[in-house]
Amino acid sequence: MDECIVIENLTMYYNKFLALDKLSLRVPAKENIGLLGPNGAGKSTTLKILCGLIRPTSGKAYIDGIDVVAQPEKALSRIGAIIETPEFYSYMTPEETLTYFGRLRGMKGETLKKRIKEVIALVKLEKWGKIKIEKFSRGMKQRLGLAQSLLHDPPVLILDEPSLGLDPRGVVEFREIIKGVGKEKTLFFASHQLVEVAQICSRVAIINNGQLLAYDSIADLEKKYQTLEQAYLTLTGGSGE
Amino acid sequence: MSNLEKLGIVIKYEFLKHIRRRRLYVVLGIALFVELLVLILIPALLPGGYPKSVMVMAAMLTVGPSLAAIGAVFFVGDSIAGEFESKTGFLLFTNPIKRVVLWMGKYLAGFIATAALIVFSYIIIAVALLVIYQEVPVEILKSFGICLLYASAVLSVTFLFSAVSKGSMGATVMTLLFIFVICGILESVLMATGKPYWYVLSAGGDTITMVFGDMTQIMSGLGISSGQFGNMMEIYKPLSIGMAVWGMLIYLVVGLVMSIWISRRRQLA
Repeated sequence: MDECIVIENLTMYYNKFLALDKLSLRVPAKENIGLLGPNGAGKSTTLKILCGLIRPTSGKAYIDGIDVVAQPEKALSRIGAIIETPEFYSYMTPEETLTYFGRLRGMKGETLKKRIKEVIALVKLEKWGKIKIEKFSRGMKQRLGLAQSLLHDPPVLILDEPSLGLDPRGVVEFREIIKGVGKEKTLFFASHQLVEVAQICSRVAIINNGQLLAYDSIADLEKKYQTLEQAYLTLTGGSGE
Repeated sequence: MSNLEKLGIVIKYEFLKHIRRRRLYVVLGIALFVELLVLILIPALLPGGYPKSVMVMAAMLTVGPSLAAIGAVFFVGDSIAGEFESKTGFLLFTNPIKRVVLWMGKYLAGFIATAALIVFSYIIIAVALLVIYQEVPVEILKSFGICLLYASAVLSVTFLFSAVSKGSMGATVMTLLFIFVICGILESVLMATGKPYWYVLSAGGDTITMVFGDMTQIMSGLGISSGQFGNMMEIYKPLSIGMAVWGMLIYLVVGLVMSIWISRRRQLA
């Protein structure tokens, strides 16, 4: 099976704080993998390294065989990402923002316009396409974040707490969108919402203190620990949120 | 897609930022206000009305150094720091673009906006001189050229402050302190002690006006005798344009290279 995301002995220090401790993980192509762990476990750090936002202290990370540290632009062309709560340029409209990012990814003309309409419709922001983002709520920015991550139809989606800040209806709609696009893409998805992860992902990686504690299918974890929640609580030392 | 195409896209959308945030209009308004103020105050305060020499009036109207500093803090103060401070970098940096292309695009967009401001100011000066004296001295072109170089050097320094500061406010304060306080004091002390001062950034800014005549000529053109300033006029030796250009080029290149080098290493954790 092709491995789309490969993480090898990834170590990351923030000054003296060890955020990732020789983390290794392989994500097969077109699989949906959830990344679970308590606050400070190293989830966001892992995703930020994969997105070229930070450089690891040591270790390697590959997207489709491309080293994200050595060739970040090439690796990033394969990724769509939402990291933390997305913040946009408030003076721009969603259409302008998506045009800007689309152009940076080599898209243009009618193809880009058509795709922008599609992704804006997908995240249900049709009525807001020409309104400046300064008027947007957190949930609307989250939706727009998903739209920009899907704009160039990337084979790999990296999402960090994508439904944070959404209202209950928004969470359900968001989940459905991700489930839909996840069928065709590799999804690497960090979340605290175990229910959400269980609905979207086939397998989960549970990490704590920068170390991989378990990497298994949800079904196998449930067999072993009765529920995913129990697996999470047991593996993370009962300190789960 | 080539890096040059990506550079063009970054410049376009960064320039859109300057327009949308209305900063460009604000600084254009400031430039117009300052020029009008000079045009109104000079005849009101000088006994003989406008000075007889067109060169003296041109020097009085030239506010390029201040405009360059305003342009720098308005247009590039938050260029780098803002992406980290407001966390917009989480989206922008996940696009497949070399950081050096991104930072260069931001710098060039800031330069274009500042250049527009300077062009606007020189048009006002040229029109005013044409109306009052029916002539525009050719030195205005030299002043304009030096002003553009000075602006690019000030933008470089501001860009460097933006690269090292956590927030855009820090970059703004550092730039204003550096140009108006540190450089000002250093230049005065070096000048008064007869030491070389070509490497002080504000000295390059002074050259923008000095192409119209040295301090003694301008002061006497305004009816102010050199005796009123003690021996300051004797000590003051205007910088040659060549030396001023060298000084500004150093700030331009070193500031830009260092800011890009630092920004490329800066991480969005």
